Amino acid sequence: MSRSTALGLLLVAPALALVAALFLWPLGFSLIAAFTAGGEVSLAHFRKAFELYSTDIVFTLLIVGLSTVLIALVSIAVSGVLTLSETGWLVAVLKQLYRWPLFIPFIVAGQCMRTFLAKNGLMNNTFVSLGVLDPSQTVSLLDWRGIVITFVWKQAPFVILMLAGAMASLDRSTIEAARNLGASRLRSLIEIVLPQVGQTLLVALVLSFVTMLSVLSVPMMVAGSQPTMLTVDMAFRINAYGDYPTANALGVISYAMTAVAAWIYLRHNLKQQREAGL
Amino acid sequence: MTHKLAFSLALALGAALAAPAGAQTLNVATAGDQNMVDYIKDYLGPMFEKANPGVKVVAVGTGPGDSGSQKIYEKLAAQKAANTEKWDFDVIVAHQKMSGQMVSEGLLAKYRDRIETGKLVSSATAANALGTNVEGFVMPMFQSQTAIAYNPDMVKSVPGTYAELADWAKANPKKFGYNGIKGGMSGVAFATGWVYAFGGDADKLQKGPYDAATKGGWDNALVALKAFNQNAVITPGNAGTLDMLNRGEIAMGPVWVDMFYTWMNDGKLPPNMKLKLLAPGMPGQPMYYAVPARAAQADLAAKFIAMATSPQVQADGIVKKFNWYPGIDARHLEGKLDAATWKKLFTDLTPDDLSKNARPFPIAPYFNDILESYEKKVAN
Amino acid sequence: MTAARNLPAATLKIFGLGLFAFAIFGPLTNLLLWSVAERWYTPFKLPVTYGTRYWEVVFRPTGDAMAALGTSVWIALLTVAVSLLLSIPAGYALARLKLPFRALILIVFLLPQAFPSVAIYINVARIFYTLGLTGTVSGVVLVHAAHGLVYSVWIAAAAFAAVDRDLELAARNIGASPLRTFFTITLPLATPGIIASAIFVFLESLDEFTGTFFVGVPQVSTLPLLLYNASMGGNYQIASITALILLVPSVLFMLFIERFLRSDVLSKVGH
Repeated sequence: MSRSTALGLLLVAPALALVAALFLWPLGFSLIAAFTAGGEVSLAHFRKAFELYSTDIVFTLLIVGLSTVLIALVSIAVSGVLTLSETGWLVAVLKQLYRWPLFIPFIVAGQCMRTFLAKNGLMNNTFVSLGVLDPSQTVSLLDWRGIVITFVWKQAPFVILMLAGAMASLDRSTIEAARNLGASRLRSLIEIVLPQVGQTLLVALVLSFVTMLSVLSVPMMVAGSQPTMLTVDMAFRINAYGDYPTANALGVISYAMTAVAAWIYLRHNLKQQREAGL
Repeated sequence: MTHKLAFSLALALGAALAAPAGAQTLNVATAGDQNMVDYIKDYLGPMFEKANPGVKVVAVGTGPGDSGSQKIYEKLAAQKAANTEKWDFDVIVAHQKMSGQMVSEGLLAKYRDRIETGKLVSSATAANALGTNVEGFVMPMFQSQTAIAYNPDMVKSVPGTYAELADWAKANPKKFGYNGIKGGMSGVAFATGWVYAFGGDADKLQKGPYDAATKGGWDNALVALKAFNQNAVITPGNAGTLDMLNRGEIAMGPVWVDMFYTWMNDGKLPPNMKLKLLAPGMPGQPMYYAVPARAAQADLAAKFIAMATSPQVQADGIVKKFNWYPGIDARHLEGKLDAATWKKLFTDLTPDDLSKNARPFPIAPYFNDILESYEKKVAN
Repeated sequence: MTAARNLPAATLKIFGLGLFAFAIFGPLTNLLLWSVAERWYTPFKLPVTYGTRYWEVVFRPTGDAMAALGTSVWIALLTVAVSLLLSIPAGYALARLKLPFRALILIVFLLPQAFPSVAIYINVARIFYTLGLTGTVSGVVLVHAAHGLVYSVWIAAAAFAAVDRDLELAARNIGASPLRTFFTITLPLATPGIIASAIFVFLESLDEFTGTFFVGVPQVSTLPLLLYNASMGGNYQIASITALILLVPSVLFMLFIERFLRSDVLSKVGH
């Protein structure tokens, strides 16, 4: 028994060591660097970070928050169609369509959008050619809206994948029962299906939230530099000034943002467990 | 299909691994845009290898702007702190600010008096890098200049000064664009020129002495710049500005003169665009060739730089190929360059314009103050 | 009869699908256009001149792209090797052996996904400076492996958990040692899942930008870095072609993933 335990720990140790060395240690480093100035605990770096980047902090939160909400809406809609639609060809085509952005790295997505979303970029030009828009009405989306669009474009397929998978493994009898009682498909989606897959949705959204907070390439390539996301500011602080303390202070602020997301997830989890009587 | 894939993978791997560990390798690290790396890879490198058989030139780009130079500085500083015998880079190409810092920290070697092209440059920038004395440690590779690019079809009367530009932007909102200070040096140059125009004593900023209290006097200028930004578009980088000019989304924006002409030659800018240098001045800067203090191939490095700063190479490579102003004194290029090429550089910006409104960047401490004040008061 | 009634509904569905397809493929089409555009400037809506000049530029033997591709693939292969070396034992231990703090250990492997990575990479680069690992392939491989471990440990654990215990017990019953059972029964059965995780790690490493941006520059040049530099330098043709090169392995994987990631493995992820 104990030999098996010792063997188990031995087998896990190297992997744990790598994660400890390349994640936990730098994490500790960043916390220490952010909170110490001149050898003692101080909030001076945070003060500087707020002085220089308060707009960007709010901006980052808004962008990632908005993207998460939009991703949720899009994924619920698309997964709903995939699960509840009675049109076979629609489901088949949709299934083949939605997964493409999944395998496209953020940096490639950034490159696509950099010229696609411009005032006279391909998207607006297409609309103008189709007569939907006037040339004078076209608007450049190469700002926060471009970042949101790129994030939703890239992350929604991931959430759709997880959500559709979860919906597919549901017991269809609950859905059929609701439909038999006369509920519309939309109503069945919202009142029957969604509560059962809520956990999966939350996990996928929290993962997406963190992923979007980690992206450096998209805000650098798609939007101008003011205002911009915290990742760009951190890179700028390091690359232009070598200013690690302020960059780490910004890092801690981004940790705090994910902590909020994680707290929402945990609260929901605990509530569910309490309701299930655990 | 798997066989082909495996075969091509093997080929690629083989190519990567079999890079000739030649008798001598010259490692060149250059900051700046991709065109700087291509210049060494496609032009200087092969030229030097032909003249020096057995030598392989390896070029590495560290990224655009001061952050690219910062990366070079960090590498050399780390190797000095670790007391490494021979450092990774033999030749470096960096901007003024970091070059000055590298000299003051003893990271570079003196070599200019050893090479024959050393005496071909007499401009102040060869000895002074934003306030730091760098005489003997650097050779200017080129002089570059920022100016406002504009589309004459969209701009009926071009502003001639910063003040006129502010009025124009108010009357034509979102038709002027620049890339802020994080996206590249053309935006930094524009913001610096603004402070020169509205922030008081521009001469003091450019020549010193440094007085920490000066930045307090920039408040009016910065508030005005923040208001100006409401009427302007912030573009994603040096190339972003050129891009938007290309697509007609903005009518005016600050650009590097060399990038402007190169883009036009490549068909990435409409051929009717023009340049204007705003009064009281817009900054320009040289980039420097330098040799790290413990370079593995110091002699080869000096030879390389001598070749790169020779009049013929400066004429063909710097002026003709890349539309930069030469690093060595222009008079040495007489006869090496055809009149048409020379004139092209001075069509929009005459030598007169340049002597009036071309300015250096401020000395390093003021430079940092401007950047930080911008971040605090304009961007935030 | 039914068709006539369903026509407006069908039209709506087709229209919706068309819009969705435009949203998905529009940006990709843009990429394709730029990769074959030689001259494209205002006010033209489509490229002025088409050509493959930039393909020649990108694929020239002395060019950056071939070297970057070689480096990227080499780093990705090394990353997979390191990841598998670490995650197969770890996955097996998590799936089959009694581990104290099992849930905690699983969470430790999940943690890197829970923290925005830019701040972490900045400090990893700082630490690597003192160790002389910046600008080296080994440094980049370590960063990629740590990032990929998150997926490979969880998937490996799920793959091992999905192996039918009865088969292992049967082998033990006829006298095979635990090690022999592992190599002849457990590992082969878990292989499809492990291959899936290997491919996943390979792709993550190939596409990785942020960590390489801080740790690898300037000497290590990967395709994503090349893409970034070309894009920021305004060279959209080269950026788009590089992007297409990056897309090929990912798209191939997407088309074949069903073969490797069976649903019974997927359902065990996280347990």
